[in-house]
Amino acid sequence: MESATVALGHAEEHDHHGPPEAHESSRIDRQTLGILLFIVSEIMLFGAFFASYFFLRVVVSPESWPPDPYELPVAVAGINTAILVSSSFTIHYALESIRRGNHTGLKVGLVLTWMLGAAFLFIQVNEYVHIGFSARDLGFGSIFYSLTGLHGAHVFVGLMLLSFATIRAFRGHFGPAAKDHLGVEVPGIYWHFVDVMWIIVYVTVYIL
Amino acid sequence: MKLSEQAVFRWVLIVGVAAASIIALTLLTRPLAGALWGLVLVCAAAWHGCRWVARKRREP
Repeated sequence: MESATVALGHAEEHDHHGPPEAHESSRIDRQTLGILLFIVSEIMLFGAFFASYFFLRVVVSPESWPPDPYELPVAVAGINTAILVSSSFTIHYALESIRRGNHTGLKVGLVLTWMLGAAFLFIQVNEYVHIGFSARDLGFGSIFYSLTGLHGAHVFVGLMLLSFATIRAFRGHFGPAAKDHLGVEVPGIYWHFVDVMWIIVYVTVYIL
Repeated sequence: MKLSEQAVFRWVLIVGVAAASIIALTLLTRPLAGALWGLVLVCAAAWHGCRWVARKRREP
């Protein structure tokens, strides 16, 4: 009898295929923890670039910053900043909409966010074309293109994530429950990070 | 800690307001004043963060 029970238990174990269920925190889901750790690593990457920037500006210390005769388009970059900050509001609107079960709001919010992000990148590329110096012009040119280019690459990645989320939204993949719209929540957190990082880059490079 | 898009959006607003104050001060005075104000804000944020971590550690 006992051996029969044991045999039955073994049979049930063998019914389950694949690896065992992963342990999960009750405070944070795996996807959100993953993007949090990724963002922490990204902060370190940006930190290295900012360290280079301040080394060139404070330690190497040319007579003026930006060095003559270069000038930075502060106003255009300011408009670009406003565009990117607006996109944080639209992604937040998209998520608030899906939390209330408003699928149309989700789609509108995601499409608007994508368009604002694309407009930001377009203006930045246009700025590079007309700025009048290249990455080979002094340490200033190198660090300017490195910092803004690094950020631009992050916007590009964010746009890819938003593209997938938008396609999935139009296919009706998301729902109001928290676990049913992680595919928008995680790109949303990343997009906010990209936005915060641009605010810091703009203030540091263009304003101070 | 509850990490969500809503919590991160709140941080966007806080950083945005802090950056706006730095920009305003820099444009009204000179870059050094803005940089010092930025440093004060970073120090205040670090102090607030340390207090938050200490409070969380005391919680059962």
